[in-house]
Amino acid sequence: MGWRLQRTPSAHRAAALTGRILAILAALACAGIVLAMTGRAPIAMGADFWDTATGSTAGLEDVGLLVTPLILTGIAVALTTRIGLWNIGGEGQFGIGALAAAAVGLHLDGPEPVMLLAMAAAAAVAGALWILVPTIARAYAGVNELITTLLLNFVAALLIAWVATGPWRDRTGGALAATLRVPYEMPPLGEAGHWGLPIAVAVAVVAAAALTFTRFGYETRVAGANPGAAVYAGIPVRARIVAVMLLSGAVAGMAGMIELAGTAHRLQGGISNNYGYLGIMVAVLARGSCLAVLATAALMATLLNAGIILSAQGLNTSAVLAVTGLILFFTAIGDELAHYKLVRRPAPTG
Amino acid sequence: MEIVTGILATAVLAGGVLALAALGEVLAERVGVVNLGVEGLMALGALTGIATVSATASPTLGFVAALGVGFLFGCLFALATVLLRADQVLCGLALTLLGTGLAATAGRPYAGSPAKATFEPVPIPYLSELPVVGSALFSQNWLVYLIYFILPIAIHWLMFKTRHGLNMRAVGENPAAADASGIPVTAIRFWYVALGASLAGGAGAYLTLAFVPSWSEGVVAGRGWIAVALVIFAGYRPLTAVAAALVFGVITALGFVGQARGWPVAPAILSMLPYLGTIAFIILPVVAWRRLKPFFAEPAALARPYHRDVR
Repeated sequence: MGWRLQRTPSAHRAAALTGRILAILAALACAGIVLAMTGRAPIAMGADFWDTATGSTAGLEDVGLLVTPLILTGIAVALTTRIGLWNIGGEGQFGIGALAAAAVGLHLDGPEPVMLLAMAAAAAVAGALWILVPTIARAYAGVNELITTLLLNFVAALLIAWVATGPWRDRTGGALAATLRVPYEMPPLGEAGHWGLPIAVAVAVVAAAALTFTRFGYETRVAGANPGAAVYAGIPVRARIVAVMLLSGAVAGMAGMIELAGTAHRLQGGISNNYGYLGIMVAVLARGSCLAVLATAALMATLLNAGIILSAQGLNTSAVLAVTGLILFFTAIGDELAHYKLVRRPAPTG
Repeated sequence: MEIVTGILATAVLAGGVLALAALGEVLAERVGVVNLGVEGLMALGALTGIATVSATASPTLGFVAALGVGFLFGCLFALATVLLRADQVLCGLALTLLGTGLAATAGRPYAGSPAKATFEPVPIPYLSELPVVGSALFSQNWLVYLIYFILPIAIHWLMFKTRHGLNMRAVGENPAAADASGIPVTAIRFWYVALGASLAGGAGAYLTLAFVPSWSEGVVAGRGWIAVALVIFAGYRPLTAVAAALVFGVITALGFVGQARGWPVAPAILSMLPYLGTIAFIILPVVAWRRLKPFFAEPAALARPYHRDVR
């Protein structure tokens, strides 16, 4: 009898999960080694972070503020991965959603609940419109959606920076490169939190249920798993691609509105804060499952919070982006290795 | 006339960044590996260039160091995607996040300061005296000549005129058949991916040592992604890729000229032109000229890991 590695068509769930945990540990270890090499004390920094982040309700509420946009941008990416595509333009849709919400909030008047709903609707529509061209190009001309969705992030960033420093700039406060404060706010929850978190969780649950239990969700999953078979089975694959991608853009746009009305209150250049890119990581770690996104978003929020807390020691969100890249890198490797299993086979005869 | 020469000179300089990165991506994609990490590699190369120059004051050394850093990270990427056969899209995105984040973190001491030394123009005798195009094309730094003339012709010759090039393309089209005929699929993929990444790193150094020339966070500004898009638009051909890069150089230059001359368009809108142009350029040809589809066809095995043991 001999042993050999055999590649199976799909990854084992337990192996993929183990791979993710190992990937995160490996990435943190790499980051720690680099920190140690540059003369810092990674272990002490970790302990310092842990005390600040979990030692108080305020620390946990900070994570809550970070987790809200990450859940939504994670859902936005997870939705498209289920139909076999990538929306890596969440960063731009997020910003455009915030811009649309700010437009409504700054220029219209009304009772707060109505205005918040109007801002959310405007943000969702704006997010969906922002992904419209890549969607049509993908569904009807087969143009790679990775590049088109991503390039629009830069256009969105330029547009937001221009609006926030030009036409809509706060001219009363002076130095701020941001718009006036939007007068409508998400209802508060706890001391520093707001209702964005429960809304984000609800979106995740609804998305998971829709994918699992509805005909639409079933057709989406089939179209993602095997487009050829889906067409053969009479599923309108193009229509599903359009619907899923527009929904994805709408969710990312909504995230921008919640960030604006709940946390930032002013539209400014850096409002997207890499949430769109970190959302890719959230969705990949969750393997496209909308419920698992809740857990992975919490994880990424903790990591982001670490970057913020440790910024006094020369770390910043760019360092978090680098660590995220490492985690993604190791996860991709782990996902491939999870396809292999050790099988026994009879010794070759003759 | 003067304005045309001015636009062309800026266009050549601006397009060079895209051309060098696109040439690297052509190498990787022709052997069947899509590297979406160009943006991150360019950020690393850009920082390496600036950091080396601030220590040695030699732009050539900075460029070579950036090539080296690109090669190193390219080897890591190839290790994951070619040897371990991990998902190329994920690894590429990971490389972009890692490179961008790492360069932004490590580059803080250099933020905003101009390069201590830059590539100086080396006019070519006689050619640089030609009207209009002379000073734009032939009165540039030596990297421009390398990027626009030497490299594309060399890569074109290698890919389409040699037996080795045939092997390369076979690996990108049908690795199983290539493997069966004795071509070392894994080795060819690994080294060309690493070489392509090396050129992306060099493109970053070109950006901070010849074009901008200073380091700031976000200095790459999506040029890596534009380069990846150019390769698609150019139908995975080195000469066409360089020509397309020049077109994008012109678009970028128009934005600069517009800002300098106070055209009645907001500078932000002019800055959007390269991105919007890229999107238009990869969508329009597919829609407008369906008969040209074979020209734009990607290598058949692109982004597919090759498993010899799985049939």
